[in-house]
Amino acid sequence: MLKRLIVLILLGALTAACGASPASGSGTNALVHIKLPVGYIANIQFAPLYVAIDKGYYKDAGIEIEFDYSLETDAVSLVGANNLQFAVVSGEQVLLARAQGLPIVYVMAWYQKYPVSVASKASQNIKTPADLKGKKIGIPGRYGADYIGLDALLYSAALSENDVTLDSIGFNQVAALAADREQAVSVYTNNEPIQLRSEGYQINELRVGDYVQLASNGLITNESTLSSNPDLVKRMVSATLKGIADTIANPDEAYTISEKYVPNLAQADATTPKQILSSSIDMWKANRLGYSNPQAWTNMQNTLLKMGLLKQPLDLTKAFTNQFIP
Amino acid sequence: MQKNETMDTNLIRNLPRAAKRSYRWLGIISIVAGLIAWWAVARFSGLPAFVLPSPLQVWQRFLVSLSDGELAQNTAVTLLEILLGLFSGTLFAIVLGYWLAKSLTLEKFLSPYLVASQAVPLVAIAPLLVIWFGPGIFSKVLICALIVFFPVLVNTVVGLRAVPTAYYDLMHSLRASRRQILFHLEIPAALPIFLGGLRIGATLSVIGAVVGELVGADRGLGVLINVGRGTYDTPMVFVAVFTLIALALSLYGIVAWIERRLLAWQQIMEL
Repeated sequence: MLKRLIVLILLGALTAACGASPASGSGTNALVHIKLPVGYIANIQFAPLYVAIDKGYYKDAGIEIEFDYSLETDAVSLVGANNLQFAVVSGEQVLLARAQGLPIVYVMAWYQKYPVSVASKASQNIKTPADLKGKKIGIPGRYGADYIGLDALLYSAALSENDVTLDSIGFNQVAALAADREQAVSVYTNNEPIQLRSEGYQINELRVGDYVQLASNGLITNESTLSSNPDLVKRMVSATLKGIADTIANPDEAYTISEKYVPNLAQADATTPKQILSSSIDMWKANRLGYSNPQAWTNMQNTLLKMGLLKQPLDLTKAFTNQFIP
Repeated sequence: MQKNETMDTNLIRNLPRAAKRSYRWLGIISIVAGLIAWWAVARFSGLPAFVLPSPLQVWQRFLVSLSDGELAQNTAVTLLEILLGLFSGTLFAIVLGYWLAKSLTLEKFLSPYLVASQAVPLVAIAPLLVIWFGPGIFSKVLICALIVFFPVLVNTVVGLRAVPTAYYDLMHSLRASRRQILFHLEIPAALPIFLGGLRIGATLSVIGAVVGELVGADRGLGVLINVGRGTYDTPMVFVAVFTLIALALSLYGIVAWIERRLLAWQQIMEL
């Protein structure tokens, strides 16, 4: 009798342990801790992530997010080395990294339009990409989205770097344009142009996304995580997409939530941050959120080949995937 | 000791012949050992090449960047910034250092700014300097001069103040003019300490030039580092870093050679 009782108790304990096993990872008992580099400081641009955290989408997916503010290139290297599982980076980083053997894969498109613009004072009368011919244009450096976006814009008007004068000025585009050191500057669509207008400058803006479709900011993982834990990737993508969808549907709610995560946002004048959020939402909207357009990747590869940043074409089917997009 | 001989060469001269031969090879052995250790870590640690390339991969990248002129062009730009920054920073430090050594009042008045010039992190103010003075070579030379300035200044002041009062008394007793005191007493007496500061300044000047280029520039080894990082070309980053090390060692070696030539009289006096 006693033996049967002991066996029953042990069976009961074993059943309870299986039910609480962290292997499923989708319950609230064991959250997978994900350090997520986003390539910039805490900012209203990351509202969908804050919404997804605040509404429990990540928690429901068994994920706990910790933000990391490493540089984009460092984030890519960390994911490539499997020191981190995910990062938010721009599309060209995927191709540049894969060309050097980093096994990263783009699993979710966040931005549907490339978030780079060329801004100029209205007095320069630069209203089309063709008007850039002969101009002195400031860029942070000959690397990164600002540089690649500018070249893509030039190519769309059958121009090249030889038709303009490029100035590497660091991340000082606003000051350089305000002081008339540059006739135009390559900037982030949802940042510098809004800053310049808020300071009273009359600005003309050429948005790269209006002229050419390029693979833009999105979520990456590495081949190791993709093969060993595709369920984690699926849950991460799903929770993030919910955050994006909610932000697009309810910007005011997203702004209020973001005040908890962005230092000083609650105390600041809301005019400029709300413009940044609105401008960002314009670049996120899509019929199918998260979907990576193959043509955008082909365009990005062609741009990088033309710039000489890629020596030969890559197998794009390995660079991105839509398998986790509903 | 023989004429123009330093303590180092004196020690070497008195070693047994076999020890002398191995002494000369020690530096080369150390470098080869370092290369082997690097290769072993790259080969067996499991680190991917974009994290830690092997010595061979870096060497191959070096040859490519040498053959297409990229390395030479960018090194020339950085070297120009270094030399201009070193010269201007040193000149300003010497002139100001002389007057500070002569005037305690002036030293106390300027000390907050002088200490601040050393204390403020250059990587923090470099972007401001690029905004104020533009992304051209001037801002890089200025950053370089700022980093060279303080160690040379301090050593100039210390060197001049280290001259014993008795020597001044002797010069005054011989009715030496101010100019004669400067050239025949103060400069020779302060030179050893000054040159020590110049050696430090010479190696720091390389850092100053690169900091400016990393913030915003079109040419230079700092630009190669930025572009290498931006395209995940880690071997290129290594090539640029090793070139910077070579520049720093060369400048240090040149100052050390100048020091040996100018201070040869010290060994003669010790005979």
